[in-house]
Amino acid sequence: MAQVNWRLIDVDALDPDNAFPADLLTPQSPPVSLSEIQGIAQHCRQALQRGDQEGALKDALSYPPYGGDEQVKELHLQTVLEILSSIKQAEMSPILQRLHSGPEGSETVDVLMKYLYKGMARHNAGSTPGVSTHATGVSTVSGQGGREYGVAPSRGDGGGMSVLLSWHEKVVDLAGTGAIVRVMTDRRTV
Amino acid sequence: MSAAEVNLLFHQRIADHSFSADGQLLAVTRDSRVQLYKRSGKTLALSDELTGHDKTITAVDIAPNSGKIVTCSQDRNAYVWELSPTGEWKPTLVLLRINRAATSVRWSPDETKFAVGSGARVISVCYFESENDWWVSKHLKKPIRSTILSVAWHPNSVLLAAGSADAHARVFSAFIKGVDQRPAPTAWGERLPFNTVCGEFQNRSGGWVHDVAFSPSGNALGFVAHDSSVTVVYPSAPEQPPKAVITVTTAGLPFTSLLWSREDQIIAAGHDCHPMVFEGSEDGWQWARNIDDPKKAALGEEKETSALNMFRQMDLRGKTTSSEDSSLKTIHQNTITKIRAYEGQPGAITKFSTSGVDGRVVIFSV
Amino acid sequence: MSQSLRPYLKCVRSSLTAAMSLSDFASQTAERHNVPEIEAGKSPEVLLNPLTISRNEQERVLIEPSVNSIRVSIKIKQADEIEVILVHKFTRFLTQRAENFFILRRKPVKGYDISFLITNFHTEAMLKHKLVDFIIHFMEEVDKEISEMKLFLNARARFVAEAFLTPFD
Repeated sequence: MAQVNWRLIDVDALDPDNAFPADLLTPQSPPVSLSEIQGIAQHCRQALQRGDQEGALKDALSYPPYGGDEQVKELHLQTVLEILSSIKQAEMSPILQRLHSGPEGSETVDVLMKYLYKGMARHNAGSTPGVSTHATGVSTVSGQGGREYGVAPSRGDGGGMSVLLSWHEKVVDLAGTGAIVRVMTDRRTV
Repeated sequence: MSAAEVNLLFHQRIADHSFSADGQLLAVTRDSRVQLYKRSGKTLALSDELTGHDKTITAVDIAPNSGKIVTCSQDRNAYVWELSPTGEWKPTLVLLRINRAATSVRWSPDETKFAVGSGARVISVCYFESENDWWVSKHLKKPIRSTILSVAWHPNSVLLAAGSADAHARVFSAFIKGVDQRPAPTAWGERLPFNTVCGEFQNRSGGWVHDVAFSPSGNALGFVAHDSSVTVVYPSAPEQPPKAVITVTTAGLPFTSLLWSREDQIIAAGHDCHPMVFEGSEDGWQWARNIDDPKKAALGEEKETSALNMFRQMDLRGKTTSSEDSSLKTIHQNTITKIRAYEGQPGAITKFSTSGVDGRVVIFSV
Repeated sequence: MSQSLRPYLKCVRSSLTAAMSLSDFASQTAERHNVPEIEAGKSPEVLLNPLTISRNEQERVLIEPSVNSIRVSIKIKQADEIEVILVHKFTRFLTQRAENFFILRRKPVKGYDISFLITNFHTEAMLKHKLVDFIIHFMEEVDKEISEMKLFLNARARFVAEAFLTPFD
């Protein structure tokens, strides 16, 4: 008798009727190459240097690389985050308003929302590789040279996060919870 | 706009409700029972209870002319209830031949058939076989890949629309030889053998299709999906891509149900607890107004509070409203599950009814 | 309350409200069953993209939505070893009593301190917006609770130290 525990076999998984085709879940998007997205990044950076943050943001959000691989998506995320953090708090709402009222406006804002969540998800995944949270916590405290309770530890990476949080607040004010719902339902991930 | 008629029936979820054609009888689902309410004056009074299912009932439909009631449940069964001369409701079991929960049921407009959507990735189209004296079914199978969440009939009683959890709204032919007359050709198709797929539509941002409905003329299909959108499809000709597919995304929570009140007007309601009106045509659709608008209600009732309290609320809870009141500003206190026509002809609905998770059935004017 | 807490909680609130649009959904895989799809994980089409909201490295919320249930996991701030111990003990205390605490999950999701599992039956029996209020309230209270416990512990330690050191004065 073979050493197989028959009771642990998931019979449902073997039924071809039950298998949900992966291509139905993630719609096909045209592939995006790394050089293409680097071109957009370059283009956006130039716009930033000209002081045209709004144009840069609009361009970056118009070409979400749905069909790209991880590297492409990561690069584009960095571009978007860079643009987002370069925009001052007071300018957020007017820029958003103009984006939203433009052609394909609600789609653009939905894409922005996807990047906000992705930005927040990435930060904590990337910031503590191999280091336990416990160790990070201690090092942050000793690094600050004091135990200013409740304030000190959050200074570490809190800056980047608070930008995303205030963008999030502005987007929800404008596009409502609908934008969040669409981040969840949309299988075209950024 | 006249005030809405609110009926708080009980404190349980109403998955579906249905009024008889004259508005005198109301059937609502309550767990594994269906309760029948008769109108007596201004209120609705409990008159009868249909028991027989042994799991949550997911849908109920009263046929407008014959008065027969069809119910379906998560116990995989459907019953047709007929009023006997002695005044009792007699159930007849329907042979659905499905092995998962039944999720929705609707009578065809000519009342000779009904369709039952299910979690078994099939739609059972049921019709009466007089020689055996029971309801039998044929299965619509392809290309459904997930649970059917809703079904809706075309006015010609042959075409059937279905919304599914695989984010597609589809139009099928449910033509049954010997039951149906050959239908006149429509923009959806000309020759329509059983299980012809006349259209398959999807939203850009995905989401389960919670409800579908044909327009009063049958020349357009509307559906609501979980991405907070309403989509209207205008077919051009058989086998051709549609003339127009218009999606209206909203700022609120997803809708669970929709109703065509006129050829150019849709009412949708769902997790936002109040109905919304959309208007448009082939050239475009947009949001028109809210019914039972929470913002308007809030203006009148805003309580006087101290500035300190307001800032404390903003700081602590991250919200600006200061009231500690636990009720919502809308009539429904929880998700609206179904929206149905109450008064008026198809294409000129003047009143509609909604049922909610909060156990309320409300009748609004359009 | 610090300035950065407000946008954080506001973000969690709107995300929770959006995710808590649940409906009754019978299982597609198990006959005559109704299971939280997010835990079963058998039907990929009824699961949605998870959302992460983070305030900083140590404080974040993960929301995993599905058609009939959502899982909300919270990472509570732990600035030093004492807080790590306190949070561990506190969440353990709660999860051991999970049956009296309807929406609490018995085991937190990996990488988080405490998890809630909210199904459509909860949103039907309780008011949806009240559930959101509750989780927000829990998030702000737990921070306060931990810091109070820590202050108390420190005060106690100081008192003990003083008591021991006095005779040598």
